[in-house]
Amino acid sequence: MIPEALGRLDAGAPPAGSTRSPQQLGLADENRQVELSAKMRADLLDFDAWGEILKMYGRTMRVAVALTDSEGLLVGKCHNPQPVWNLVRDAASDWGAGCPFCITKRPPCAAVADAIRSGTAVVVHDQAGLTHVAVPLTLGKETLGAIIAGQVFDRYPEPLMLRRVAKDFGISAQDLWEVAKKERPVGGALLQASGHLLGALGHAFLQQRHAAILEEKLAETNDRFRWLAEGIRDYALFTMDTAGRVTSWNVGAEHMLGYTEAEIMGQNFSCIFPPEDIQRRFTETQLHKALRTGRAEYEGWSIRRTQEQFWANVNITALSGRTGPIQSFAIIMQDSTERKKIAIVLEEAQQERGRLQEKFLSHVSHELRTPLTAIYFFTTNILDGVFGDLTPEQHKHLALALDNVTQLKDMVSDLLDITRVETHKLTLVRQPASLVKVTSEVLSTCHTNAAAKNINLRADCAANLPLVWADPARVRQILTNLIDNGVKFTADSGTVSVKAKFFGEDRDFVCVSVSDSGCGISAENREIIFDRLAQVQGTGEVSRSGLGLGLFISRELVSRHGGRIWLDSRPGHGSTFYFTLPVFSLVKYCSHIFSGPNLDAGSVTLIAVDVVEVQRGAQTDVLREIRQILERCIHAGQDVLLPATGDKGPIVTFFIVACSDPKGSALIASRILRDLQNFDKASQLNPRISATTIRVARGQSREEQIHEIAARIESSVQEHLLAKERNK
Amino acid sequence: MTPTKDLIAQGSDKTPQKKILIIDDDEHLLLGLTARLKTNGYAVMWASDAVTAISVARKQSPDLVILDLGLPAGDGFLVLDRMRALSDLVAVPVIVLSARDPANNKKRALDAGAAAYFQKPPDNHEFLMAIRRALGEMVALSTFLKT
Repeated sequence: MIPEALGRLDAGAPPAGSTRSPQQLGLADENRQVELSAKMRADLLDFDAWGEILKMYGRTMRVAVALTDSEGLLVGKCHNPQPVWNLVRDAASDWGAGCPFCITKRPPCAAVADAIRSGTAVVVHDQAGLTHVAVPLTLGKETLGAIIAGQVFDRYPEPLMLRRVAKDFGISAQDLWEVAKKERPVGGALLQASGHLLGALGHAFLQQRHAAILEEKLAETNDRFRWLAEGIRDYALFTMDTAGRVTSWNVGAEHMLGYTEAEIMGQNFSCIFPPEDIQRRFTETQLHKALRTGRAEYEGWSIRRTQEQFWANVNITALSGRTGPIQSFAIIMQDSTERKKIAIVLEEAQQERGRLQEKFLSHVSHELRTPLTAIYFFTTNILDGVFGDLTPEQHKHLALALDNVTQLKDMVSDLLDITRVETHKLTLVRQPASLVKVTSEVLSTCHTNAAAKNINLRADCAANLPLVWADPARVRQILTNLIDNGVKFTADSGTVSVKAKFFGEDRDFVCVSVSDSGCGISAENREIIFDRLAQVQGTGEVSRSGLGLGLFISRELVSRHGGRIWLDSRPGHGSTFYFTLPVFSLVKYCSHIFSGPNLDAGSVTLIAVDVVEVQRGAQTDVLREIRQILERCIHAGQDVLLPATGDKGPIVTFFIVACSDPKGSALIASRILRDLQNFDKASQLNPRISATTIRVARGQSREEQIHEIAARIESSVQEHLLAKERNK
Repeated sequence: MTPTKDLIAQGSDKTPQKKILIIDDDEHLLLGLTARLKTNGYAVMWASDAVTAISVARKQSPDLVILDLGLPAGDGFLVLDRMRALSDLVAVPVIVLSARDPANNKKRALDAGAAAYFQKPPDNHEFLMAIRRALGEMVALSTFLKT
């Protein structure tokens, strides 16, 4: 760039055809993105750094050198040894402002401004015929200032010009000439080379200075961070590489975990987490999560060097290089044992409160039942004519008394359930459940009540009804409630019917309806009927019975299943209650493993694990234990253990969907076999593991692939269960 | 006024009345339940605490016992256990009638040898049916229906 800039020496304009700019060349390129702060600019032009090198240049080249900022203002001192300049300077009382190098009475030259604006070196002559050159100092896109060098004659001094200077500045022309004539002109080529050198020198020095400042800053930041990291005692801060080896360890970590930096460096992280967590791959799963999402946070137990466990809040951040893959993990750990202790105490207090509330209500319900029973016997005895015939009026009034007794009895029954709703003790044990089966069970128990009123109770379930994702006992409770209500509100010889089908076009929900041909429910009552302790005021004989807590509890149960409950009714034309339950969907259940990368592996394997029942009494516990073992054996991100399905026979089957090739599934199978045999040393479980590989079809959309796999898994499950049935 | 289904008069029968012992500390319940049982043709006797209950049972040899769980001087389970330990009472059917939550007590009572568990207040019809079943009277009825 410099030779081109020097090309302006005579012409005063850039040479034609030149399109290159300093920004496109040389060192500045590397800093194209640099944005400099005012502080950085000042630091870069620090005269303490520049002074020596400029002085050396000036001495060597026998020129004066000065540094300016981007406004053209002089930075630091400028020593000018040029005898002509010194003579004029010393003699002149009136010196113009502006360029510090120009011997002129006219407006000073704009060389610095031009150089800064154009980014190129600008060479000018002053009134005395002395030459100086302004070289811009640029870093990246920014121009920081300029270097001015010069005060040399590039030809022999001209007496005429000098005489005008002497006159302008009021000095002796003779003296000026005496000094000037001793000067040796510097040739154009040398001047060019000198400019070139100066430009290169300036840029190189600026680069070096920039790097030095950045390095200093970085060191300062590092020191500050190290000081911060070292100083934090309440937090353990450490890093480890992707192989799990500790790569840094702060004082807080030493304090919290008990290992010194020297002891732990290069060791595997597993020593600070409980063996159970390591064994069930919990910690590994958290690291995988951090790899996937960048961060993972959890609360769990950690172990100090003394083997003491403490409850920690653990924050994992995956650290990647500037580009490339993740290279390490930063882990911040906080000891929250105290907080956990308080939480446990609080939780216990809450449980205790719930327990007391339940105990109290259980007691209240017991106490209410005793007098209620006496009233019930007295009323029914008189009503049934044990003590003789009644007048119609007496009979009517006693029948009403009995209605109220029944109502009271139901309310007392619901009292306990409602505490369980409120203390969230209404737990759901979800499984793929058959509505057809549940409905027929409920119908058989409700039959007595219906038959007493000669009510036609019937059910109609759609033929293609899928399994629902629900707790069968709770569904039974909801249905019983609705059917009982229906029977209660329907006059003798009426009809109560239960229907189950898909919820309109929605294939994700099944809708169950219970219709009666009873008195119906008015609009305002429809609004409040599901509320707690709703008391429907109506007309007619059955106006006040039922409808207390049953519907409130049913609504709770339905919504806990993710469904909805509502009703449709016209007074005088009966009512229909509807509720929806989610369909059990293998696709949805497996959605988190049916991901792109997993399916790209090419195949999905269905692993069936058959175990023989061990002990009759302990069966539930044993099955739960086996489920936990199987869950530990699979890789949560790739495999899934399906929920229990079908009837439990002497042989129980667990199904696992594994997104891996046959080799991978063989690995899982061997792991399961080993762990089950470890669990049951005598091998009474007699585990049998079989696998079916399903190829992922190519050339289909992801959705089609998933649906086809799900369908094939479902049919494989059915086949397996049928085969088991045949072998029995 | 026609009697309801459970009120089947047995007074005219030549067979001696079956004896039912009600063990309950609530006098009003005793009064109400006795009236109903007598109407159905049974002889009724009472005991109001666990200790008296056993001695009354041994003296009177009831055909069936209706037992409350919450009793003075030991609860109903104690009575059940003692009855199962005594050779003269081991075969007497016991129907538990208690205000306690069946969720916590029914299984225990049935395991201890009770023939049925009813939570107070019971449905009259179902309760009488259970009594007849426990006394073996239902068998006779079903045999009658078949012929």
